Amino acid sequence: MTEQIVLPRSRHEERFIASEQLVRLVMRTASAHLQLARDDLPYQWLTTCYCDTVDWNVYRAAEEGAAVRLRFREYHRTRPEQIFGSEQLFLEVKEDIGDRWRKERVAIRSAEIPAYLRGESPMRIESRDLQRAAQGLVTAGARPVVVTQYNRLAYAAPDDRMRVTADHNLSYLAVPWTNNNDDAIPGRIGPVLARERDVIVEMKWFDELPLWAEELHGFLKQRAPLDRPSKFIMAMRHLLGKG
Amino acid sequence: MSAIRNEPSIVVVEDDAASADVLQRRLQANGMTVAVGRTGADGLALIRDLHPDLVLLDVGLPDTDGYDVCLQVKSDGATSDIPVIFLSARGDVFDKVRGLSCGASDYLTKPFHPAELLARVDAVLSQSRRVRRPRLTKPADTARTGRPTAIVALADQARRERAELILGAMFEIIQVGSEGRVVDLLVVDADASITAQTGTEGPTVLRVAPPGAPANPSTVALSDELVRIANLEVRERELARDVDAAAEALVALAMAFESHDRATAGHSERVADRAVVIATAIGLDAASCQTIRVGALLRDIGNTKLPLGLVRSASELTPGERKQIERHPALGEELLAPFRPLSRLLPIVRSHHEHLDGSGYPDGLKAPQIPLEVRIVAAADRYEALRIDRPDRPAMSADAAVSILQQSVQRGELDAAVVAALATSIRSDRGEATGT
Repeated sequence: MTEQIVLPRSRHEERFIASEQLVRLVMRTASAHLQLARDDLPYQWLTTCYCDTVDWNVYRAAEEGAAVRLRFREYHRTRPEQIFGSEQLFLEVKEDIGDRWRKERVAIRSAEIPAYLRGESPMRIESRDLQRAAQGLVTAGARPVVVTQYNRLAYAAPDDRMRVTADHNLSYLAVPWTNNNDDAIPGRIGPVLARERDVIVEMKWFDELPLWAEELHGFLKQRAPLDRPSKFIMAMRHLLGKG
Repeated sequence: MSAIRNEPSIVVVEDDAASADVLQRRLQANGMTVAVGRTGADGLALIRDLHPDLVLLDVGLPDTDGYDVCLQVKSDGATSDIPVIFLSARGDVFDKVRGLSCGASDYLTKPFHPAELLARVDAVLSQSRRVRRPRLTKPADTARTGRPTAIVALADQARRERAELILGAMFEIIQVGSEGRVVDLLVVDADASITAQTGTEGPTVLRVAPPGAPANPSTVALSDELVRIANLEVRERELARDVDAAAEALVALAMAFESHDRATAGHSERVADRAVVIATAIGLDAASCQTIRVGALLRDIGNTKLPLGLVRSASELTPGERKQIERHPALGEELLAPFRPLSRLLPIVRSHHEHLDGSGYPDGLKAPQIPLEVRIVAAADRYEALRIDRPDRPAMSADAAVSILQQSVQRGELDAAVVAALATSIRSDRGEATGT
């Protein structure tokens, strides 16, 4: 299963950070107009594991605004205490291109991960550019370094032209990964590097916002501007003592 | 002595008979085994004898106070891992702080709601089962009398008698609760719940397969073979204890060598303690923590094969001298290699100066070739070295030392997760929460 997303000009994405109380109001408003997203069941735990090289090339590039990121995403009902313990997960390659990005997402089995990281098994990514970039990272020694965990509440329009998500209990954790042997999975995670006290709200939409959502968007922009970079950069700053 | 437990065991130390009775009945009604001591001395005797899962301790006792009892429990290696909850009518913040500073896990002010007591008991019990602090223990020094001893604790009487008959050919059969006896072998049912053991402490445990079920890798059949298997297992455990004793002797030698240098005296013990804290923060098991601890203590044993003047030189080393000093990991490995049972320590001894980017010594290993245990000792060693005075610089603060280590992580030398665990443990020691 491969899913390629290239961000068109008409697609918008904005993030906010707000208190639990404020987010409750926002999500109540969203729930009056949108449905619970089918692929993000309420409060499902998302565990995203990011890879980087020994000399932190991915992080350095991300701080400069242009990076190819290799990450693995898992979904669980309760918070897992390890990574790659589920039968199936998603390998994602995401590339920033100026103010746009493109992403490819492939369903894989956890057991395949060590072979991917050893470079023995080519990633089944359709875009040649992305595949080359991801393989380049693996050749440079990219390995799991940091994890973000949070539970996500998501509402979406039936045609998925609009989506509002709230990420609660966001934690950044280190990954003590030592080698890419087959027995390296499932892998341990921890310690917890930092916890976000507030909630990350994301609004994603195509073209124009309906009136109610425009008002919500304006309210969030005024009350909850996000004053921090992506979860990956935040996690890496904490990991490297730059947080 | 290890005990067979299917339910949590609690020692209550409470001088008031009515309060003790209510507590005992409440805990028993919730599936716990309870023993009550009315004085500090009674309580300590019960704790040492029963090695319970938890102690509920009153502060006001007739012969001493609860703080003293708690300190005695926590300073005795045999009981220090037993969690203590204070129960007291003294609700002043200073009493609570004092109780907790004595090593208690919790402090509950009387009068308390039974539900709150049970919730706290459950929370402390579940935490203490996860975290078992490893320690380098001395083998039991109780005198042995001839044959090894065995306790047979099978639930079914006929099976118990048969096992005792079979084992009687080689073992002295003793009963559960035999005072002051060293138990070498404990024979239990396959599904029996037994208090967790650390390292080579306690008896060998053999689980007997249920009637009609075939033996598997974790059980033995109740047959004439039982005595042969039991004998082999007990001997293997004795050998493991001897290995621990040998490791301890080597550690003592290494410490004696180190203690002659005022600048480094106690350094290895601090490194070992720090490394175990990091390993625990990362979630490594007790066996790995034990390897890390002994490996950290012995990591520089190769220095004993170098000229003393060079090892203790306070002046800047010449390139030639540096090259010589950099031989100590390989020399240490050479020294320990003949002790084959200590082979698990060799990677720590040989590779604790390696860097993930390949810039370390002696082999220039790269990240995938450096085990987690080695990375932990390397970080702990660097941190503790920065925390002591050196001829060329004063000791650094904890924050400054962590910052230096984080720069090493950014350069690709040290493991990021390991240094993060070190930083987290230091923040946690200071009572700082992990939050943004």
